[in-house]
Amino acid sequence: MKKWLYVLFITFLAVGLLAACAPDREEESSSEGSSSEGSSSEDGMPEKPEKLVIWEDTDKGVGLDPAIESFEEEYGIEVEYEEMDMASTIRERLRLDGPAGTGPDVLTLPHDQIGQLAIEGLLAPLNVDESVTGIYTDASVQAQTYDGQLYGLPKATETPVFIYNKEHMEEAPETFEELFEFSQEFGGDGQYGFLGVWDDFYHANAVISGFGGYVFNNEDGTLNPQDIGLNNEGAIEGAAYIQKWYDEIFPNGIIGENGGSAKDGLFQDGDAASIQDGPWAFQALNDIGMDYGVAPLPELPNGDYPQTFIGVKGWHVSAQSDHQEWATELVKWIANEENAKVRYEETNEIPPVTALIEDPVIADNERASAVAIQSERGVPMPNIPEMSEVWGPMADALQLIATGESTPEDALNEAVETINSQIELNHSGN
Amino acid sequence: MGDQEKQYSTNHRKIALALSIIPGFGQFYNKQWMKGLGFFILTASFFIAFSDLIQFGFWGLVTLGTDPTYDHSITLLVEGILTVIVTVLGLAVYILNLRDAFKVGKQRDLNVAPNSIRQQYQNLVGGGFPYLMMTPGFLLLIFVVIFPILFVILLSFTNYNLYNSPPANLVDWIGFQNFLDIFQIPIWRETFFSVLAWTVIWTFGATTLQIALGIFLAVLMNQKEIKFQKIIRTIFILPWAVPAFVSILVFAGMFNETFGTINNDILALFGLEDTPWMTDPAYTKFALIMIQTWLGFPFIFAMVTGVLQSIPNELYEAADVDGATIMQKFKNITLPLVLYATAPIMITQYTFNFNNFNVIFLFNGGGPAVAGQNAGGTDILISWIYNLTMTSAQYGKAAAITMILSLIVITVALWQFRRTKSFQEEDMM
Repeated sequence: MKKWLYVLFITFLAVGLLAACAPDREEESSSEGSSSEGSSSEDGMPEKPEKLVIWEDTDKGVGLDPAIESFEEEYGIEVEYEEMDMASTIRERLRLDGPAGTGPDVLTLPHDQIGQLAIEGLLAPLNVDESVTGIYTDASVQAQTYDGQLYGLPKATETPVFIYNKEHMEEAPETFEELFEFSQEFGGDGQYGFLGVWDDFYHANAVISGFGGYVFNNEDGTLNPQDIGLNNEGAIEGAAYIQKWYDEIFPNGIIGENGGSAKDGLFQDGDAASIQDGPWAFQALNDIGMDYGVAPLPELPNGDYPQTFIGVKGWHVSAQSDHQEWATELVKWIANEENAKVRYEETNEIPPVTALIEDPVIADNERASAVAIQSERGVPMPNIPEMSEVWGPMADALQLIATGESTPEDALNEAVETINSQIELNHSGN
Repeated sequence: MGDQEKQYSTNHRKIALALSIIPGFGQFYNKQWMKGLGFFILTASFFIAFSDLIQFGFWGLVTLGTDPTYDHSITLLVEGILTVIVTVLGLAVYILNLRDAFKVGKQRDLNVAPNSIRQQYQNLVGGGFPYLMMTPGFLLLIFVVIFPILFVILLSFTNYNLYNSPPANLVDWIGFQNFLDIFQIPIWRETFFSVLAWTVIWTFGATTLQIALGIFLAVLMNQKEIKFQKIIRTIFILPWAVPAFVSILVFAGMFNETFGTINNDILALFGLEDTPWMTDPAYTKFALIMIQTWLGFPFIFAMVTGVLQSIPNELYEAADVDGATIMQKFKNITLPLVLYATAPIMITQYTFNFNNFNVIFLFNGGGPAVAGQNAGGTDILISWIYNLTMTSAQYGKAAAITMILSLIVITVALWQFRRTKSFQEEDMM
């Protein structure tokens, strides 16, 4: 027995000794400091790197090629890009590759991930002049700003719009009331005048915010997660309007997890005259050869336009990049007006550049201008991490409202209570 | 001991043991040069290869980093676990070395000649062969299975969440705080117990039904009077042949309230076309259990069919002579023999369904919504953990719930395995 005690004792001692072996920090920091200082050139920019790496969304690289070519010519820095799914892959890979030193210099992200990644220390704030940010719409720059700092330059914007089948509808209605009357008369069994997945908060926000609700109060450009406006008078009124549509027009079959695909199927089969959906739906409609029109969403009964969530895709600089100054230059280059226009022509993703929205390439394109106009009426999706607590409870509440199991007031109060406690639980004190 | 010591005239074993503190030297002392060299080179290369890892590994594991600019807590945690594994492996070899030197020294004390190189080689190939063959797989298991388990266990004692995420911040050890929070903070406690309750109902309901149906159909198909047995059996196996996720997605479409064929074509015949399959938790739960029964019974059916064919006919003949009814025969002959042969697999069916993420997630995403809790009406523990991690980035807490969940599964499985006759020595036949 005693022998074992000795062995245990010695083991602890050894581990204790080893645990005390902290790496020698002084050396590391001094050597790193000198290397970066010694290499800066005269114009305040550090020495040029050999190459910069960009992570771009799948199949969107074609829009980058011309910009990269001219950048390489101008600065003599080689630029490579890699394509991967923007919605989740880039974030997941950045978390591993960034700190490991194998990450990109420049990457693209949907703006609602900015807050989370900035907190994790994976994105670097951008230092650019007003003259650079001035060319973009205010909403898109706001979307790229987190906690008072700019974390990227806008690349493209998207938001749900009104899509209608020209076979059933000659032109888009002016108001939702018109649309409601049309829907009551339209078609027969299993046919619908308008469909929107309004139990998904992303789409429902158009109505709820249009009536005066809001997610987080915007206080001088900073979102306040303590001030949630999803159960205020306007929000309840909006939810009641949503309930009215489900009551009288929408089928129960578009409620829930697979509601979106049910809605797509009905519209593509010609059983729905119009839908609310984003520009990502265009491709499938082109593929089946439908003759469809696109317009901004019609006016709500209270006289205001629906405030859809705007999604802004942006260019960002990795905080782990060794060449942040040059990466920033690259971001400015590929996001400038000229390259944004080229990118729009190649990818059809609408750049939130004020001058381009009025440019004939967009203004004369029915689909693009509908998205651009709706984008001006919308609000940027909150980019603070507290937003992740909103989706679930709101989806739950909207589902209860859609099925009529709960009154709008009860459901929204319940949801806001859950959101508040979840925010307190997961996002407080740090 | 005293008497034994006197028998030795020399003290080779103790000297060899002492010299072996530097691996290899004890073997040199015993004049086993090759073996000694082997141990020495192994030790030297161990220290050359792992000195950095061991030097900072323990420090990283204990502190999880001190300066976020240089230290990535999760990397340090991973390196720390690696260090522990490497150290344990190293110590094992070291103990082997000590033991070997002592054993050979003792042989010399007893005036037995130590093994020659040829004999050592034969020992290794003869006695050690199974171990030699096992080693690569075993090492792989350590890194593929044991390593992640250790990682989850350690993670559940940290505050790893969004606001303590590297590289911006450091992760810290917080002891049992995660576990306490789950039981002390009301919204989590309430959700935890309501989810746990449904998980248990789901596990027992779905699994028992699929087992019962499988056994019933197998016994039915085993009756000699039934014709076209092979074709019918093949048809019963078919649900198994289709990938489960495809079936589940098809079912999700079929159960759609407005457009699904279940409401529109089947239940419409009975005037029940408005059944709220996807929006009422009770109906969704019922549908889920039915779907899992459909997905799970062919496996039981196939297995039981095999067992039934091995039951000797004499047992039934003897029962017939004694005038037993069909039910008596089933209860006293068929069922015990089938369960005897298949009980362990039946139990794994329960543990499988306890963590059956696919069905829950693909059918209705854990929905429909229920007022007053932060999980859906049909969320089981594992799908709830998934949602918690993906939306709230509460990695530490999710690891803690995973630990609780594993504890439940392991306890139940062990308890049941121990009670199962298959694991007891006595013979059933």
